[in-house]
Amino acid sequence: MDNNSKLTNLHMDAIREVGNIGTGNAATALSRLLGRTVDMDVPVAEFVPIYDVAAHYGSPETYVCAVLVRTEEEFSCSLIFMIEEEKAAILADLIIPMDISGMDEETRLQIRDSALSEQGNIILGAFLNALSQITGWVLPTTTPAVARDMLGSIMDLVASMFGVIGESAMLVKTSLHIKGLDDELGGTVIMIPDPGSLEALLSKLGVL
Amino acid sequence: MTQPIHVGMADLVVSKHPATLVTLGLGSCIGLVIYDQASKTAGMVHIMLPDSREAKNLPKPGKFADTAVPLLLEELAKLGVNKSQLRAKMAGGAQMFSMPGKADSAIFGVGSRNVEATTKLLAASGIRLVASDTGGSKGRSVEFSTETMKFIVKTLGTGTKEL
Repeated sequence: MDNNSKLTNLHMDAIREVGNIGTGNAATALSRLLGRTVDMDVPVAEFVPIYDVAAHYGSPETYVCAVLVRTEEEFSCSLIFMIEEEKAAILADLIIPMDISGMDEETRLQIRDSALSEQGNIILGAFLNALSQITGWVLPTTTPAVARDMLGSIMDLVASMFGVIGESAMLVKTSLHIKGLDDELGGTVIMIPDPGSLEALLSKLGVL
Repeated sequence: MTQPIHVGMADLVVSKHPATLVTLGLGSCIGLVIYDQASKTAGMVHIMLPDSREAKNLPKPGKFADTAVPLLLEELAKLGVNKSQLRAKMAGGAQMFSMPGKADSAIFGVGSRNVEATTKLLAASGIRLVASDTGGSKGRSVEFSTETMKFIVKTLGTGTKEL
């Protein structure tokens, strides 16, 4: 399924609903972890031309931090939690139980990466748990991988994954907003079903 | 300096002097420049994948290494370059996410396969690859100017290289 012509509004609604339930569970998990209110936007499910995937999320040179997990057994899918780099540091510090400001740069980065990797794991794991409950699929996740770099470079992964078979990528995107902090703090959860695995999901949901 | 021309994903641009060709945020993709110093002519292509044979259709030949390299040479030939004088420089092909046990998988190993395919194609076409900055785990932004024939490679955190 590499173009949107085969998908009806019903299919898109079903995919969006998966995003809604998944991110809802993710928001709850993050809220419990941080002890703060976490709001979410209405999910958007859409086909994006592979050449525009990065531009879809911002300027290609925006410095972001991304946590990626995959599930590859009954259903193959990547999930990315992405947050601007400067906000990633604030988010990480919320669960680091000590003051790391006096440590050297390298150590601080390592501790923050570890915190973010855990936060990403909890958020994305909660998303997959919800999906598992809807579908009855067992969805084990890989160890989270963290990248901190330019948005464009990170989104190459998505573009190349879909580029092999077609010209557009299917993405489900939702933003999470953490409340009660001085700065607006939020990240984006992106669900990227592997090319070809969308049929399996739609069929399981009973709409195909 | 001339207004930079942005070479987007799978785009291919050739130009006579003066021109500055730019590609921002390369991850696993490749920024390849082929140029002729004498006639100050250059072309850049933003390659996404190594091999077009699995593709059903091919709206943008710049997308795959095996279609991008021949097309770039063809477009440069139209501008009257002397093929024997052509040189190449490239950057990119990083692996942004490292997942234990999956370094060589179809998804995560695409950067190194892009580098390998592009290098082979250049050799097969008899084009000398005079400089490259590939692999690793960091994204790159690249800029090539027909004034200097230098390939500037920028990486977040570690700074700028001149190839």
